[in-house]
Amino acid sequence: MSMNAKNSNAANNYAACTQYEAALEDHFQGALHGPEAVMLAEHLQSCAGCRAALEDAAASARLLAIAEPSPDPGAGFSRMVMARIRQELQSSEGKSIWRPFVSVGWRFAVTASFALVLLVSFELGRDSQWQSDQSIVAENRMPEIVPERPSLPANRDDVLLMMADTSHGKQ
Amino acid sequence: MAATAAALSLPVSRREKGEEERQLVRLAQSGEEAAFEELIRRHQQRVFGLVSGILRRREDVEDVVQQVFLKVFVSLKRFDQRAAFSTWLYKISVNECWDYLRKKKVRPLVYEADLSEEQVSRLDGVVSADQPPASASDRAEARDLLERMMEKLPEQDRELLVLKEVEGFSVQELAEILNLNVNTVKVRLFRARARLMDVYRRRLHSKPAGAAGPAADKEG
Repeated sequence: MSMNAKNSNAANNYAACTQYEAALEDHFQGALHGPEAVMLAEHLQSCAGCRAALEDAAASARLLAIAEPSPDPGAGFSRMVMARIRQELQSSEGKSIWRPFVSVGWRFAVTASFALVLLVSFELGRDSQWQSDQSIVAENRMPEIVPERPSLPANRDDVLLMMADTSHGKQ
Repeated sequence: MAATAAALSLPVSRREKGEEERQLVRLAQSGEEAAFEELIRRHQQRVFGLVSGILRRREDVEDVVQQVFLKVFVSLKRFDQRAAFSTWLYKISVNECWDYLRKKKVRPLVYEADLSEEQVSRLDGVVSADQPPASASDRAEARDLLERMMEKLPEQDRELLVLKEVEGFSVQELAEILNLNVNTVKVRLFRARARLMDVYRRRLHSKPAGAAGPAADKEG
């Protein structure tokens, strides 16, 4: 694109030539001096687009002058910030780098204790159940089915009596 | 504490101001809370301007500024003073704003209502003849109108214009804060000015007389 075509296009759209934009901003702010200022002045004589853009910049500055800068937050603000910093520091004092590990350790200990209690109570329950089963079995045993073991003779007379019983039974 | 008092009572000539601030930073780094509080006092207004220039929602600004100073306090010991404290502080402020916008997924404010002919003529006076509104209520209304137009600009343009023209940051400062080349800032600023005027012309002059409401707004 030739410079003339570009300039004419720029004039229609109020757009500056791209290679002069930084210089135009400097010129607008009064910060362009020396050979660059001379070069821009020559360019402005022949470029309607850049002239229009410069006028736009001035108009925008007039428009923006309506706006007001943010108000000072006041003397109390720094005190408020310091109070918040102190508060944050206090709350973070308890937070050492081991804190997560300690927390996990505690959780593990509690879980292990709970599991141990469960295991012990289960074992105790099973033991007492076995004992009660045994006592029930003992209570319900039928003596007639299981013959009593004959007691041994305690003395000579008992031996004689047993022999007499045996011979009497055979007869 | 005596050192802090000495630093605070240093002469305020421009030449010594930098060294004074470095001394305050050193004291704050060694744990002097009074020195840090003084740093807050010195920079709070500019940080407020910077944050409100980016966030716009005044109710969010104070909270974000507090968060900025908290972060600065926490990371102050890592600050090596190779750059100016203010540049470092402003960079943290900008990052905090962007983090905040990203986390909150804040959408730009949208004004649906368009401008009346009377409002148009008032702004025309300001733009063409540099006639600031006379009464306080007119000024407030003009500021509101300007805010509406600024909302139509791309975020980057709006930030640059507000920080440069309203909050008073220099091109050099903006380049440092936004991690941009100085020439890039100049070009973007110049284009932002042109776009603001483009919005002004389209919104104020291209609509039919008496047109108002969202339909007219969408065309703008």
